[in-house]
Amino acid sequence: MKLNIDGLLVYFPYDYIYPEQYSYMLELKRTLDAKGHGVLEMPSGTGKTISLLSLIVAYQKAYPLEVTKLVYCSRTVPEIEKVVEELRKLMDYYARQTETKNDFLALALSSRKNLCIHPEVSSLRFGKEVDGKCHSLTASYIRAQHHSNPSQPVCQFYEKFDAVGRQVPIPPGIYNLDDLKDFGRRKGWCPYFLARYAILHANIVVYSYHYLLDPKVADLVSKELAKKSVVVFDEAHNIDNVCIDSMSVNITRRTLDRCQTNVETLQNTISRIKETDAAKLREEYRRLVEGLKEANVARETDIYLSNPVLPDEILQEAVPGSIRTAEHFVGFIKRFLEYLKARLRIHHVVQESAPQFLKDIYEKVCIDRKPLRFCAERLRSLLRTLEIADIADFSPITLISHFATLVSTYSKGFTIIIEPFEDKTPTIANPVLHFSCMDPSIAIKPVFGRFQSVIITSGTLSPLDIYPRILDFRPVTMASFTMTLARTCLCPLIVGRGNDQVAMTSKFETREDFAVIRNYGNLLLEMSAIVPDGIVAFFTSYIYMENIVASWYEQGILENIQRNKLIFIETQDAAETSMALEKYQEACENGRGAILLSVARGKVSEGIDFVHHFGRAVIMFGVPYVYTQSRILKARLEYLRDQFQIRENDFLTFDAMRHAAQCVGRAIRGKTDYGLMIFADKRYARADKRGKLPRWIQEHLTDGSLNLTIDETVQLSKHFLRQMAQPFRQEDQLGLSLLTLEQLQSEDMLQKIAQIAQQA
Amino acid sequence: MADLRAAVTHGVRYDCFGFSSLGAPVMASLSEEVLLVVKRVRQRKQDGTLYLMAERIAWGPEGKDRFTVSHLYADIRCQKISPDGKAKIQLQLVLHTGESTTFHFANESTALKDRDATKELLQQLLPKFKKKANKELEEKNRMLQEDPVLFQLYKDLVVSQVISAEEFWANRLSLNSVEHSLSNNNKQDVGISAAFLADIRPQTDGCNGLRYNLTSDIIESIFRTYPTVKQKYAENVPHSMTEKEFWTRFFQSHYFHRDRINTGQQDIFSECAKQDEKGLKSMVTQGVKNPMVDLLSLEDKTLDEGYGTATAPTTSNPSNKSLRENSNSAIIKRFNHHSAMVLAAGLRKTDAPNDQASETSSTDGNSRDSDFFQPPVKKVKLQEAIEYDDLQGDSGRRTIALNLKKSDRYSHGPIPLQSQHYSSSQDIINSISIIQHEMRNYKPRLTQVMSSSAASSAITALSPGGLLMQSGGQQTINQLVPTDVQSELKHLYTAVGELLRHFWSCFPVNTPFLEEKVVKMKSNLERFQLTKLRPFQEKIQRQYLSTNLTGHLEEMLQAAYNKFQAWQTRRMMRKT
Repeated sequence: MKLNIDGLLVYFPYDYIYPEQYSYMLELKRTLDAKGHGVLEMPSGTGKTISLLSLIVAYQKAYPLEVTKLVYCSRTVPEIEKVVEELRKLMDYYARQTETKNDFLALALSSRKNLCIHPEVSSLRFGKEVDGKCHSLTASYIRAQHHSNPSQPVCQFYEKFDAVGRQVPIPPGIYNLDDLKDFGRRKGWCPYFLARYAILHANIVVYSYHYLLDPKVADLVSKELAKKSVVVFDEAHNIDNVCIDSMSVNITRRTLDRCQTNVETLQNTISRIKETDAAKLREEYRRLVEGLKEANVARETDIYLSNPVLPDEILQEAVPGSIRTAEHFVGFIKRFLEYLKARLRIHHVVQESAPQFLKDIYEKVCIDRKPLRFCAERLRSLLRTLEIADIADFSPITLISHFATLVSTYSKGFTIIIEPFEDKTPTIANPVLHFSCMDPSIAIKPVFGRFQSVIITSGTLSPLDIYPRILDFRPVTMASFTMTLARTCLCPLIVGRGNDQVAMTSKFETREDFAVIRNYGNLLLEMSAIVPDGIVAFFTSYIYMENIVASWYEQGILENIQRNKLIFIETQDAAETSMALEKYQEACENGRGAILLSVARGKVSEGIDFVHHFGRAVIMFGVPYVYTQSRILKARLEYLRDQFQIRENDFLTFDAMRHAAQCVGRAIRGKTDYGLMIFADKRYARADKRGKLPRWIQEHLTDGSLNLTIDETVQLSKHFLRQMAQPFRQEDQLGLSLLTLEQLQSEDMLQKIAQIAQQA
Repeated sequence: MADLRAAVTHGVRYDCFGFSSLGAPVMASLSEEVLLVVKRVRQRKQDGTLYLMAERIAWGPEGKDRFTVSHLYADIRCQKISPDGKAKIQLQLVLHTGESTTFHFANESTALKDRDATKELLQQLLPKFKKKANKELEEKNRMLQEDPVLFQLYKDLVVSQVISAEEFWANRLSLNSVEHSLSNNNKQDVGISAAFLADIRPQTDGCNGLRYNLTSDIIESIFRTYPTVKQKYAENVPHSMTEKEFWTRFFQSHYFHRDRINTGQQDIFSECAKQDEKGLKSMVTQGVKNPMVDLLSLEDKTLDEGYGTATAPTTSNPSNKSLRENSNSAIIKRFNHHSAMVLAAGLRKTDAPNDQASETSSTDGNSRDSDFFQPPVKKVKLQEAIEYDDLQGDSGRRTIALNLKKSDRYSHGPIPLQSQHYSSSQDIINSISIIQHEMRNYKPRLTQVMSSSAASSAITALSPGGLLMQSGGQQTINQLVPTDVQSELKHLYTAVGELLRHFWSCFPVNTPFLEEKVVKMKSNLERFQLTKLRPFQEKIQRQYLSTNLTGHLEEMLQAAYNKFQAWQTRRMMRKT
């Protein structure tokens, strides 16, 4: 249908529309008009992606000079591919309706592992291996060597792409990962480098967060993206953690040992080159004297996305003299390495700030702040000059150099914690230096600064106001949309007690309590008897799940559950879990029914959907608080309190509830879907917890379902399931939660729609 | 056999065995073959002899040559034996009706041996009969219930003793089993309960022992779920140990206890554990077919080593873990494996060839191959994932695609294959175009058309009520004949049809059995004509209806008689 969104003609590739989609598009349009950032929460399964794409593509077509590019960031590879497929649907619709050929170029970008078509390289299993092998075939000096010595292997796909690929632009169309590979195979071009090149002029780019948020990757891939782009972060409820992870560094003794070997290799290479090709080193020296002017010019003229690891100030200066020659620099690194080794030789926990660390290093080994800041850049230059083949081998020394640069650049937002051993195993020495980022805004700042509109959206972003605070930006729109429903297809229940009235909770003090574990078991047992097909149960942590499963086994609860359904359990091994997942789906598919025991914050809870019969009930055992005894977390909480005035408890609860919401939200993936959401912990009933659940779940949480016993839960569930099992037709939805174009245009419907969005 | 456990109270480890018959069912033999004779068996305090025959078990008192006790195996629900070490060595048969018969083996020296021999033999015989008898009866019953026409036919032919029940079912059943195997209805395997191991609850027998109850179902479940155990069983029983010993060891072994960590070397099941481990590993390395659940390829770009806040997991450092943690994760592994095996056991039979194919393709194909195989699954899954069926209009309603093996046959229907006159679709198209071409050039030759008076008389003759339309209409029969006669006629038709089907199915007569049958069928037909058709004819004659009603029936019968006659004369000629 063709919609009129606030004066903009939007092609929407379906015959019907959900009211909230219309509302969502309105808000989105306002955000784009204002050229500002937005935070939008809309439940999963209400067609968020297609709404986003429809509106932004329409906007791009209407105002090609205002918005030149859409950068759509998602979390996992399947999600990226889903977005591209939806886009394909939209573009097909455009082509049918307007009867013109599609002139849009849209493509997905992923790591080499998913795009490589080189027969040898692509057969490698791990991403890192693929990257390393690829680099050893495509690095510029390797190819130079190939010219003089044809027996030196190179990648023929890259060669072919390099020869002609850049001149001939890739024809307009929608390219998913497999399409890119097909195209690459047909042309004999490397799809990865083709995609990386093509994103610069593509209208729509779909890739993962890391390409924008991880400074190491962003610098390579996304640096030159146009300023007039709209950036969308979908499934962004965890975006702060992604930011923090990309800026944090851990150094263990093993890292340092491997770094030591790196340094030795460097030293040998340098002395060898000095004998054979001293001119090369001299050339590098000259370049370094001239400084990083090039990058500086580029950034000033607004071509580049700034790199938080490469701070602005150092671009204006030349590399300090003390580390300009290769030998001096290696010596410098060696000194730094020795210092770190000494720091790791401790017996008690040390926590200090970056300035303290710098002071200490100056006092102990006379290393100044300034050369430290140039470490990362200097090392990169050196590795390039020395023509190191396998970059992957040099990851330890690169890590150390990043640490050096970061610690000397940011005096705030980071903390250094050195732990001599792990908390669980105090007898085994395993010293780790955590250099941990506490301020997610550091990594995301360049994104907000550079691009004209950044949209943060997800099914669970409650409470909305916390995201602008922790990410430090000023949104022009913040809205939360509910799910309009013709039938209440979700049934959140809070189970607080067992039938013996013992409170059910995963609170630390009582979690090992026999009665609690037994009640949890009974709840699962009872539910397994009444819920059809699949049940997914989430635990707060892996260790907790292991313990509970063991005691359920001893008590014979699992055996009884097995009478009703097969049991599959998430393990710490991803391959094993994948297999369990597939078998779980198989068991749901063939009617046996199954239970999947899983972990909140785990891979399953974040990336796998349990649509329809794959998840008729989700049980959340306990409140998934993060492990609060961790020192890194404590430091972060302190920082949040001091900098953003966010109370520790508020943040912890917010974090726990967003994960709980993620877990239970896995089961509802659309309006025709239905599922039970069982929160098995009495603490969920408290207002501070409940209030932090997304609005679309909260709405259906009645006072009557706040502190149920197992029996009451079973009764309510039975009733709910029986109701839901009745046939549900499109006619039932029409006019309520599903609209035709005429219905959408009616006056009172527009009024109703205005209430769907709740401005925060 | 559920009641058995409660019934036997003394400490026997295996009260009852009934192994499922994996081989072909025993053919019913006419002469009674005696399989085992046991003398000095008491029944109701009377000495006598026990006979185990091919189809029944019988007992006769001493000195008399008739059996006072005789049970068909099919009637026996199960057997029970007295526990070892009891003074009286007995064997009890429980019938489906609930009655039971107890035999006391009284020969002092060989009583135990006799009893065991009897038990063993019964063990082998009972399951075969049980399954066969029940299944057949059930099947017949079901067919009669589902099909009223068949039921009527059964009443007409069998109840009125035109043909015997065996004859009636003889080619019915085989016909049906073919149909059913096509629709995959008949042989649906019963899946395995996930909790079958839990059903073997050990019970303490009060004197430091544990008692496990095994039934044939459980044993079958164990074998189906854990093929390695079955293999072990085949290797060891009965050469190196008795089955009792085997199962004792099984329950003692760590293999059975799922939190096992290290299985001793002397344990025969340690190998099973290893093989399981291997199987699990191969399952894991094989990877998953559905890319949407592949957690390994979920993340696009993982952080490099050393980055991130989460401390790197202590990589495979078993010494780090406590014993308890190890056993916990072993339990979890076991559960996943167990569930996967149970699931696989349920699917094994139907999927076997299919699975094989995919396995080979994924193992011998290199990564490129798997690349080529992947997209279809992936595409479908992706499409599924982005579909909103309620947003899509009516076009979303999915219909089942017609799966045609030969679309040609579908669009043309069966064409009699005449060697000369076979026309392909191209010929047809050609001829159509020729006809079209000719039609275009068609010019009526107006000089040779009929005169107008002749034409109008022809039209009147062909109009309703006209000369040529007099003997019009099927509907007259409907109106003329009363409904009860109609329904009777219908029954007659089906019955005759059935009998004729039997008759004609004997041709070509190439076995003595068929010869015999065809003669019998002929007499059946005659009998039918005499007992059913004639009375009907007389009846309608009494009602002054046209006897023409049964004309067609008689024609059909006559055709059969003619055929029979021809066949018989030919046979006589050949004989002379």
